[in-house]
Amino acid sequence: MNKIVAMAAKDIHILFRDKLGFFFTVFFPLMMAIFFGAMFAGLSRGPANIPIALVDQDRTAASERFIERLGQASGLAVEEIPREEALEQVRRGRTAVLVTLTPGFGAALDNPFVATPEVEMTVDPTQFAVAGMVRGVLLEAAGAELQDLMSDPARLGAANSQNSLFFESLPPSDARDQMLTFLDLSPRVSSLIDEMGLGAATGGNQGFFGPPLEIEQTEVQAERPGPTNSYATSFAQAMLWTLIGGSVSFSMSIAIERSRGTLMRLLVAPVTARHLLAAKGLACLGATLFTSSALITLGITVFDVRPTSYPLLALALLCGSICFCGIMMALSVIGGTEQAAAGIGWGLSLPLSMLGGGMVPLFLMPEWMQTLGNISPMKWTLMAYEGAIWRGFTLNEMLLPCAVLVAIGVLAFTLGARNLRWDTG
Amino acid sequence: MLVFDHVSKSFGDLRAVDDLSFEVEAGEVFGLLGPNGAGKTTAINMAVGLLEPDEGVVRFTDEAFDRDPRDAENRRSLGLAPQSIALYEQIGGADNLRFFGRLHGLRGSDLEERVVACLDFADLTDVGKKVVSKYSGGMKRRLNLAVAIIHDPELVLLDEPTVGVDPQSRNAIFERVEQLREGGKQVVYTTHYMEEAQRLCDRVAIIDRGRLMALDTVPALIEAHGGPGNLVVRTGDSESRHETTDPLGTLAELQARQAVDHFQYLPPDLEAVFLNLTGRALRD
Repeated sequence: MNKIVAMAAKDIHILFRDKLGFFFTVFFPLMMAIFFGAMFAGLSRGPANIPIALVDQDRTAASERFIERLGQASGLAVEEIPREEALEQVRRGRTAVLVTLTPGFGAALDNPFVATPEVEMTVDPTQFAVAGMVRGVLLEAAGAELQDLMSDPARLGAANSQNSLFFESLPPSDARDQMLTFLDLSPRVSSLIDEMGLGAATGGNQGFFGPPLEIEQTEVQAERPGPTNSYATSFAQAMLWTLIGGSVSFSMSIAIERSRGTLMRLLVAPVTARHLLAAKGLACLGATLFTSSALITLGITVFDVRPTSYPLLALALLCGSICFCGIMMALSVIGGTEQAAAGIGWGLSLPLSMLGGGMVPLFLMPEWMQTLGNISPMKWTLMAYEGAIWRGFTLNEMLLPCAVLVAIGVLAFTLGARNLRWDTG
Repeated sequence: MLVFDHVSKSFGDLRAVDDLSFEVEAGEVFGLLGPNGAGKTTAINMAVGLLEPDEGVVRFTDEAFDRDPRDAENRRSLGLAPQSIALYEQIGGADNLRFFGRLHGLRGSDLEERVVACLDFADLTDVGKKVVSKYSGGMKRRLNLAVAIIHDPELVLLDEPTVGVDPQSRNAIFERVEQLREGGKQVVYTTHYMEEAQRLCDRVAIIDRGRLMALDTVPALIEAHGGPGNLVVRTGDSESRHETTDPLGTLAELQARQAVDHFQYLPPDLEAVFLNLTGRALRD
C-alpha cells in the first residue's frame, strides 16, 4: 500500500508541477465557471420554449380552442396533464407554471359581456420572471379570442341573443333597456367602425370590455428550487472540466512514463503491474477529487453557490471522479504516445462535453440534444453535480446518475487495465 | 551472482541475443562490449526481467538462493541505470531518489540517509532540491546512476551510462563506477567504447550480432586476440607503421638502417581484439 501511495503522490506532485496540466485541470475550469457564471448572471432559467403544464377542467370547444392558441404561441411548450401530476411537477421544479382552465372558462370566453374568463395559475415563486411571461402570453391569447369574437357577427350575435334573453327576464329599468339596446347594436360595432374608417385607430373592439382575462395566481413552493445563481450552474460545469482535464493529463502520464524511460525503472522495482495501476487510479482519483472539491469550495465561499445537500455533493464528487479515473485508463490504452493520448483524450472529450452540457447548460439545449446527451458520461456527471448543488435530488434520485458513473468508471478502468501495454519501448 | 545460461532472444526474424552465456562474480565490473545493435540492451532487459528469454535461463544464484529475475525479492537486490535518462524532470533530484527509495521499501531515517549518501555519490548535494529539468546533461547522468543504487543493491546494471556526456562528466561517472567496485558491488557495464571497457572492466564479454565472441580479462583478451602492436616511426618528413610483438627489437632494427627522429608504440587494444574477432571495427 505504501508503494501505491508513493507512486500516486508522485503523480499528483508531477501534475501540479506541470504548468499545462495544472492549467487544464484547475484554471481552465475556474475561468469557465467565472466566465459563464457572469455571462448568465441575471438570467433565470429561461429556455427558448418554457414548459408549462395545463389542466383543462372546462372541457369545452372554447377551452380547447384556447389551448390550441396557447400551443401556437411562441415561447411556450404546453403539456396537458392531470392536475395532481402537474402540481407535483411544479413542486419538483420541473415545470415553472401550472395553468388551470376552470369550469365556465369556455362559456365566459364565448360570452365576455356577463363574465370574464378566469384561469388559475400556480407558480413556483422562484420562477417569477417565467410566470410573468406566461401571464403575458395568456392575456395575449385571451385578447385574440375576444378580437375574434368581436369581428365575427355570427358568434357575437349568438352570444347576444343568449344575453338578451337573460336581460329581458330582469325587471324593467332604464339600465336594462340601455343594455338591451347595446347588445342589439354590438354585433354591428365592427362594421360601423369600419364604415367610419376607424378600425386601425381604435385597435379593435376589446377596449370596450376591460381586461380580457382574470388570472388568479397561487404559489406553490417548489421543493427543489432552481439554481441560486448562475454560478451554481457554471461551477458544476467547471467541476466537470477538472475531471476531464485530470483524466486527460493522467492518461498521458503512462505514455510519458514510457517515453521518458521511468516506466522501465518502475517495472524493475519490486512493484507489480497491479500496484502501478492502483497508483495511477488513486492519483487520478485523488487529484480530481481534490480539484473539484476545491472548485466547489471556492464557489460556495466566494460565489454564493449553495448546495442543497452536502452529503449528496460528496457522493457526486466521488462517483464523478471514479468515472473519470476509468476513462483515464481507457484513454491511456488508446493513446500509445503522449501526443496521441492527449489528442485522443481532448478529441473525445470535447464533443462528449458539448453533448453532455459541459459547454452550454443542458436546460438551454433542444430536447433531442438533451436525449442524445445520455450517451455522454459528462451528462451524468453534471446531473449528479447539479442534483446535489441546485436540483435538490433525493438520495434515490441521485442513485441513477451515480450508478451510471460508477459503472462507466469500472468498465472503462477494467478495459483499459486489461489492454494496457506494459512494454517499455 | 548473475548467470546467463545459453540465453537467446529474437524479435521477429532478428536474433538479438544468440546463445549467450556468462556469469558475473561478486566485486567485479563486468563489461558487455559491442557495437550498437549487438544485443547488449536486450541482455540487460533480460537480466532485470523486462524481457523473457526464448531459450536458456537467466538466474540470480548464491549459496542461499536461486532466483528468477522477476522475483520481487531479487528486484530489491538489483539496480538499473537505463541507457536513456529515466528521471522525473518536474521534481527535484532528492525527490527522485526519495520516490524510488520508497518503491524499494526504504522508510524514515534509512531513506533519508540513503538520499544524502546518493546525492553525495553523484556530487549533487548542493542541487538536490533543484528540479531535474534544470540540471545539466552530466548532472542528470550522475543522478540516473545514483537512482539505480538508492536501495544499495548487490548488482548494478549500467546500460551505456556515458552516452552523450562530455569528457569531464564521463570521468566523473568512471569514478563512481570504481567506487561501486570498491564497495564490493557486482557491476554489469555495457558500452561500445573500448576505452571505457579497458579502463573499468575486470572482465569483458565481446558480443556481436547477439553472439558472444570472447570473454576474459582485458589483458587476456588482448593477449589472445589482439595481435601485434604497432610501432610508429618518423624519419625526416616520412612516417611509417610497423606491426610488431617486440617493439624494442623492431626499433633497434630500424635504428640500424637509418636514424629515427621520433617513435611511438601502440600496443594492441580491445578495438584490435574486436577487429580480429569479427573482421569489423567496433564503431562500424
